[in-house]
Amino acid sequence: MSITELPPKDSEQLHEDSPRGSLKGIIRSTEIDTRMLGMVGLLLVIWVGFNIMSGGTFLSPRNLWNLSVQFAPVAIMATGMVLIIVSRNIDLSVGSMLGFVGMAMALIQAEILPRSIGFDHPLTWVIVLLVGLLLGALVGMFQGFIVAYVGVPSFIVTLGGLLVWRGVAWSLASGRTVAPMDSTFQLLGGGSRGSIGEVGSWVVGAIACAAIIFGLISSRRRRIKFGFRLRPMWAVVGLGVVGCLAVLGAVWVMNSYYLPENVARQVAEDQGIAWPAGGLQIPLGISYPVLIAIGMMLIMGFIANRRRFGRYVFSIGGNPEAAELGGINTKWTVVKAFMVMGILVGVAAAVTIARLNAATSGLGTLSELYVIAAAVIGGTSLAGGIGTVQGAVLGALVMQSLQSGMVLMRVDAPLQDIVVGIVLVAAVAVDVFFRRRSER
Amino acid sequence: MKTKKNIWALLAVLALLAAACGDGGTTETTVGSGGETTTTVEGGGGDDDIVIGVSWNNYNEERWARWDEPAIRDAIEAAGGTYISTDAGSSAEQQVTDVEQLITDGADALIILAQDGTAILPAVESALEQGIPVIAYDRLIEDPEALYVTFDNIGVGRLQAEVVFEMVPEGNYVIIKGDSGDANADFLREGFEQVIGEAVAAGDITIVGESYTDNWDPALAQTQMEQFLTQANNEVDAVLSENDGMASGVVSALEAQGLAGEVPVSGQDGDLAALNRVALGTQSVSVWKDARELGTAAGEAAVALAQGTALADVAGVIQFDSPGGNSMTSILLEPIAIVQDNLNLVVDAGWIELEALCQNVEAGTVDVCE
Amino acid sequence: MNDQVTPLVEMREMSVSFGGVHAVENVNFNLMPGEIHALVGGNGAGKSTLVKTLAGAQRADSGQIYVDGEPVSIANPRDAKALGIETIYQNLALAENIDAPGNMFLGRELTTGFGNLDDSAMENATRKIMGRLNPKFENFTRPVAFLSGGQRQSVAIARAVHFNARILIMDEPTAALGPSETEQVRNLIRQLKTEGIGIVLISHDIHDVFDLADRTTVMLQGKVVGTVSKGEVTMDEILAMIIIGKAPQDLTQSEIAEIRG
Repeated sequence: MSITELPPKDSEQLHEDSPRGSLKGIIRSTEIDTRMLGMVGLLLVIWVGFNIMSGGTFLSPRNLWNLSVQFAPVAIMATGMVLIIVSRNIDLSVGSMLGFVGMAMALIQAEILPRSIGFDHPLTWVIVLLVGLLLGALVGMFQGFIVAYVGVPSFIVTLGGLLVWRGVAWSLASGRTVAPMDSTFQLLGGGSRGSIGEVGSWVVGAIACAAIIFGLISSRRRRIKFGFRLRPMWAVVGLGVVGCLAVLGAVWVMNSYYLPENVARQVAEDQGIAWPAGGLQIPLGISYPVLIAIGMMLIMGFIANRRRFGRYVFSIGGNPEAAELGGINTKWTVVKAFMVMGILVGVAAAVTIARLNAATSGLGTLSELYVIAAAVIGGTSLAGGIGTVQGAVLGALVMQSLQSGMVLMRVDAPLQDIVVGIVLVAAVAVDVFFRRRSER
Repeated sequence: MKTKKNIWALLAVLALLAAACGDGGTTETTVGSGGETTTTVEGGGGDDDIVIGVSWNNYNEERWARWDEPAIRDAIEAAGGTYISTDAGSSAEQQVTDVEQLITDGADALIILAQDGTAILPAVESALEQGIPVIAYDRLIEDPEALYVTFDNIGVGRLQAEVVFEMVPEGNYVIIKGDSGDANADFLREGFEQVIGEAVAAGDITIVGESYTDNWDPALAQTQMEQFLTQANNEVDAVLSENDGMASGVVSALEAQGLAGEVPVSGQDGDLAALNRVALGTQSVSVWKDARELGTAAGEAAVALAQGTALADVAGVIQFDSPGGNSMTSILLEPIAIVQDNLNLVVDAGWIELEALCQNVEAGTVDVCE
Repeated sequence: MNDQVTPLVEMREMSVSFGGVHAVENVNFNLMPGEIHALVGGNGAGKSTLVKTLAGAQRADSGQIYVDGEPVSIANPRDAKALGIETIYQNLALAENIDAPGNMFLGRELTTGFGNLDDSAMENATRKIMGRLNPKFENFTRPVAFLSGGQRQSVAIARAVHFNARILIMDEPTAALGPSETEQVRNLIRQLKTEGIGIVLISHDIHDVFDLADRTTVMLQGKVVGTVSKGEVTMDEILAMIIIGKAPQDLTQSEIAEIRG
């Protein structure tokens, strides 16, 4: 019952399909989106290619760990951009908004709160984060209101926003760099202490694994209850095993990256542990930015597929008139989509300034392009109505992999831009080609 | 009825946008009003009122509004002249129009902070033909008839590298350069080369990472630094970052590896956060160019030129061979390398509050903070 | 009018104009329970505009609508649906990127206790109603963009029927259909009538109208030409009303002959 997957063409049967010999048949029976599979394939090609060219550095736990943190802010925003684009709108202002909200959050923790409650107060990070999310929501609501109720095209409203919020970001601190951030707040940005550690990571992995199995079982139960066609049992088991292995594998990689020796030494000192002869290997585990990005992906995916709001956004993208005639409050739905985008920008801004441990007025410059590109590479159609949240996150991962791989290969900035630009156009061209073929 | 409502809503929005913009750029675009003041003679200076036109490329950068502009204005007004200005908003095309506008408004001399030193050439030539002297402010304009007033950017690079080189005479270096489209990125790099070039050639210094950074973006510099550290397996002994913003990204990347404070990092601009890092020891040097000095020098030179002083007779000029092969008449000011030992200079100059400088600094480590 | 039964819907003095052109001008129209009331007329006669005011898709400039004798205000499709007024639009009004159950429940999704979409329940309900309307329908999980015209029509009708409509507006319900599917829809309309649902039927197909309608109202250039009951008039007389714009009693024999010729 998903909106964008294109399920098998053959007629529905109320019994298990028997596995067919061909690879196509096997993929069909698992009901996996073939587009998604293609994206994962592309990612693997990029990864293996860079790994060979970099002599094994690219797929080292350390580089993958860095990569996962670097991709988080774009991924977080891309999950919201999907809904915006699906609703036949666009948001060009996210980069500037990130600058504005980030600067505001930085000022609050570095200059305003210290005056009243002192520096590094335990509540600082909560207050800052809440204000940031609220600010993002308000800005989003304001822009969404002009789009939906005043009727100015979103391209224009957010193009204006791109200029306005950058200007506001500058004027908040007259262009100064604001630093440093609250020490608890800094955890949001990853860094050497900003991760949940070895045990925590395994727990998260185990929970994710359990959730996959539970999801598969409950979906099968529901289908049995209503007498719908079932996935073959081998496919269910296969999906469960592959899903769990992927999750646990990712956790294992995150746990294989150890605290840098200098930091570990400091930790040992703080905890009064003697420094062992062979050194101390403390796994970092999953970092907070990655945890936040995954959390946002799950929440946004849930909203897109399982909540009325998400369904309404898709229906507006498919046929705005039908949505209106169906009794949907389309204007308010659009406003809400922009609000959600604003909140996600707030989250991404928090991660960005926490990671940089500073806010500059140029923060987030050009990131609207990366966010839109991630959504589009991930299969979101600019004509509206089509797109997935997971796809956008994968798109963000593809983009960041390219970029960080090229820095690793010492490819200089202008050439990097050329490659990323070509990949963007090529990815969409391939997608358009296959989509047209499947429509025949 | 309905369309009328829409128009009102649109007007309300425009008003809001305008208000927001007004907050954003506090530029006093005095063109027009400035032109009028020339007719209503003001100030007790000369009877022949001098008008100096200043063309900013992008006023939305901290230092221009805060330091340079007041200094230029004071210097001009002290000599009895009138200050008028335009802001090109980072657009090279707009700046050409701006320069023509300033001439129309009666400027007797121009100070131009060029967005693009090549694109502005036709406008500069046309001004010079009309007998209006031009000062290339801080950024080079390749026209030998113009006066180039700047800090010695190669010298800035040299100063940065000297501090770091003294601390790490041999080992692995990372070089984080600025935007590839900005000539200063290459000047600075040249300054680095003058200091470490021999050691690199001799094999004492290995450059394990070097990259331009689009828009001098700190976040991008951080990502690049992370990748260089990964590639070199943390065996990085020193980082030459061309400015303070990028240095903040570099220091964050080093911090994640527990290397902040152990690996010397350079920078320039005297950013407040950077000076704080110098006090904390996580950044080794921030080359400080007192922008007020530059503004004063340019303002005074502009007045002198407007009064008919010949280019070569302006106080303090030297000849400087530009990358374009021109011998430019220049005023090159000496920047100062701010390190932990001379932080008092920036405090005494009123550049930074002691509180901001010494935030989180442990007692007994830095003299100024005591 | 001294009807014993209160009309299900009564529209009085309805007017709609677009930029000075009167699309609908002082039109009176009513619908009895269990009645099929056809609305006919040439292109631009104002039929669709009139029913859109009832469906909440178009605001009227003046006039008043009564449902069960009570004055009501219908500002948007939600208001209409709340009054039990369902509409099948000429262009079907389906979201192409969403599957059949999603379209059927669009705006009125079934949810679980936590407010999450209950896709299985919606698919199940759709399967049930399709079993009645179009047993051959099988594509429950593909976006409707991939369905044939007849299948899409089934979805649009299923949507209107499922929510226990009391008043059903059908704008050209058989336009996209083949002969057997058309017959299916006619049977369905008769069946709904026996359930006491009032149906407003807009159709170009004069056979549809003559077969099904209890009463027929003819419109021309935004005005009502006349309303006639089944058995009072011949098919030719209705055609004459549509084309010439005169009520049957005012028609001359030569005019009728002209139509026939």
